[in-house]
Order: sequence, then C-alpha cells, then structure tokens
Amino acid sequence: VDAASALTELVRASGQIERAVVFDAKGAVLGSTWAEDAGAQALVDAAGRALAAADELHASTDAARVEVELPEGGFFVLREGDRVIAATTGAKPTAGLVVYDLRTCLAQIDPPKPKRRRAKPKESPEDAPREDEA
Amino acid sequence: VKRLIRLAIVAALAIWAWRFAVGIRRPSSRVAVAFADGSSLELPTASPEFELLAGEARSVLAR
Repeated sequence: VDAASALTELVRASGQIERAVVFDAKGAVLGSTWAEDAGAQALVDAAGRALAAADELHASTDAARVEVELPEGGFFVLREGDRVIAATTGAKPTAGLVVYDLRTCLAQIDPPKPKRRRAKPKESPEDAPREDEA
Repeated sequence: VKRLIRLAIVAALAIWAWRFAVGIRRPSSRVAVAFADGSSLELPTASPEFELLAGEARSVLAR
C-alpha cells in the first residue's frame, strides 16, 4: 500500500498514535496524517534532528529508534533502511505497542519503484568496427 | 463456589494494587535510544542528551 493509506490505517488501528509521518533518507515526505504540509515538515525536521543526536551516542553504528515519553505525550522515531517513520502519541503511551505498530506500518508501505532506464540502442552490425578495417 | 469467588476477588485486588504501585514508581519522563546493532540505552534524566531529545519532542507535541 502507499504511505498515506498505511498511515491512515495506523492511526485508526493504534488508538495511541495521534500524528505520524513517513519520510525518506533525504527528508522527502512520503506520507503524513497532517492536513497541512508545515506540520508534517516540523515533525520530519524534529525527527531528523533527534536521529542525528542519537547517532552521536554510539561510535560505530546508527540509531534505529528513538523513544521520548514526557508527561505531555510521546514522540517516537523509527528508522528502517532508507525510510523513517515519526509519530506522536498522547500521555503514557505503551512504548512496545507503539513501536510494533510503527514497524508494521513501515513494512506495509510499498518500496519505491525503481527508475526506468532507457534501453541502449543496439549497435547495428554496420556500426561495429570491422577487424579487417584496422 | 463462595470460596472461589472470594479467591478471584482477592487475586483481582492484588493485581490492581501491583499495577498501581508500578505506575507510581514509573518515571513520567523517559528517553530511550536503540541502535542498528541491537544495543540500546536509556538516557539519564538530567543529561544534556536527554534534554536535547526531550526538547525536540516538546516542539512537536506543542503543535
């Protein structure tokens, strides 16, 4: 399924997740539950900064998940491959369940389609250099 | 039957009390990071990394 449909289903089924956005490694939004782009972009920016800060905590490997639980709500970021999902929840979320839902949502999203390459025109036998010419 | 009902009530009360006690002890703020190699860590509440990540969370939760 596409990212927007997967996110709609995520918010409907989760009961804890309030907002979510999926974006790629370059920060391009693939899908969002926000009505306006500014909200989604703010979540993408915050998630990117959170992952960058978390990356600094380990010398040899990247952060795969950031979980922040505060009295006012939860903020979760999950990175798998070149895709990232970030979500906010209400207060006192069940972190394990939220992470499971986010992982399931990411797995449901179709991989990006490979770019079509133009097939090289076949060389005709007349264009190929002849051995006897050399 | 009465004894069974009494036992069920006592068990339910014990479970409720245990969950209540755990809920009180659980800190209201928590920041955890998991890494690609499978390791994970929970940041101490007063650390600068905790404050940085909590600040990012507050910025999106306030919207």
